[in-house]
Amino acid sequence: MNGYLFTFRSITPAQRGEAVLRRRGVDAALRRTPRSIADKGCGYALRVSTLQLNRAVSALREQNVPFQRVYLQTGEQLEEVWV
Amino acid sequence: MGMIYLDNGATSFQKPREVEMAMHWALSHCASVGRGGYRQAENAAKIVYACRELAGELFDALPEQVVFTMNCTHGLNIAIRSLVRPGDRVAVSGFEHNAVMRPLYALGARPVIFGRKLFDWENTLQELEKALQSGVKAAVFTQVSNVFGYVLPVEQMGALCRRYRVPFIVDAAQGAGSCRVSLKEWGADFVAMPGHKGLLGPQGTGILLCAGNAEPLLYGGTGSHSEEHAMPGELPDRLEAGTLNVTGIAGLLEGLRYLKRNGAENIGSREKELAAVLSRGMAQLDYQVFSGEHQSGTVSMGGNEDCELLAERLGAMGVAVRAGLHCAPLAHDSAGTLKTGTVRFSTGPFTTRRDVERTLEILGKIRVS
Repeated sequence: MNGYLFTFRSITPAQRGEAVLRRRGVDAALRRTPRSIADKGCGYALRVSTLQLNRAVSALREQNVPFQRVYLQTGEQLEEVWV
Repeated sequence: MGMIYLDNGATSFQKPREVEMAMHWALSHCASVGRGGYRQAENAAKIVYACRELAGELFDALPEQVVFTMNCTHGLNIAIRSLVRPGDRVAVSGFEHNAVMRPLYALGARPVIFGRKLFDWENTLQELEKALQSGVKAAVFTQVSNVFGYVLPVEQMGALCRRYRVPFIVDAAQGAGSCRVSLKEWGADFVAMPGHKGLLGPQGTGILLCAGNAEPLLYGGTGSHSEEHAMPGELPDRLEAGTLNVTGIAGLLEGLRYLKRNGAENIGSREKELAAVLSRGMAQLDYQVFSGEHQSGTVSMGGNEDCELLAERLGAMGVAVRAGLHCAPLAHDSAGTLKTGTVRFSTGPFTTRRDVERTLEILGKIRVS
């Protein structure tokens, strides 16, 4: 199933992002960032459905939650997207 | 009859029942935060984040600005080392604990002591302003004196520091949990507090609220930026090297939930009333009591008898108090009790009116014996 991954430098901002998205009605699943896209080592990511990308981006930006990058995940394939 | 616990200034020995239950649960259900993606690691991560979020809500900070420490002293050491350099002149109130003074002396800083009159806001504010005008590099002050329960005018003190653009640290060891604490409104660079006193968590926990640039005291793994040699730049990772005390934080979370349900300021008012009853009763028994308008739920007293011997007698009769210098020789020096020390009675959320009355009865018996 396709979805978007928002990457974060560490777990706390990812958790704050999860809380912000939950309050905005966006389902976000916290997970470890896949090694292939982890910047400088371990990190955490939030996965949201393709339909909720725009809502998620605006909510995170409005609340100044510092995500790093966004990737489209198709199966095991990850492709960076610009939002 | 059970023990009458009046040593909440040292630690809140009596906790909400949920604190112990949460710690038991965490021991069998939580692994390490930020080190894995399995259920037990997620359990730990959820508890730790919930605690950060609630602390942020209670103390006006973002969750990332809530750093877990092992106690208040740990947080103060981080804060002082972040703001102060060797040789710096640093303004400190006349009621500071060794948790502030020793790190300053160890760094080779030069303390500029202001405001040595107990319960006197005007003196505290005037003397602070003089210190700020003299060109100090930073200020560190306690919210509440751990010895005398003097509640300092922290909000106005913060405003003065901001006016003179002097960064400042608040030691909220005795205020958090019974007085208002606001990182944002105070405009403080750092606010340090223990988890095991007014926040009702277990020993081994503490919180440092950080608004300023912080320097790590410990270096090591954070579960993030693992390829980098340096500690991460962002909070809280920058200050949280090594495995967190998840079991303790689970207990602390329940302590904070209790505070949210009951209101820190409500708890503080009740403690203050009980301390006032104690003060009046002690004065009637002719003890030397240190009391004043701006006082918390803590009261100190002196007398002709050696303070340690008096505390020992009280202990033997079922009243737990603390005597001596309370790790705050500067505060005793300010109040003129450095040679004698005092006996400190510090109330807490679980202190009852009956506890206070019974303590006065016991003090009365000691007085006549």
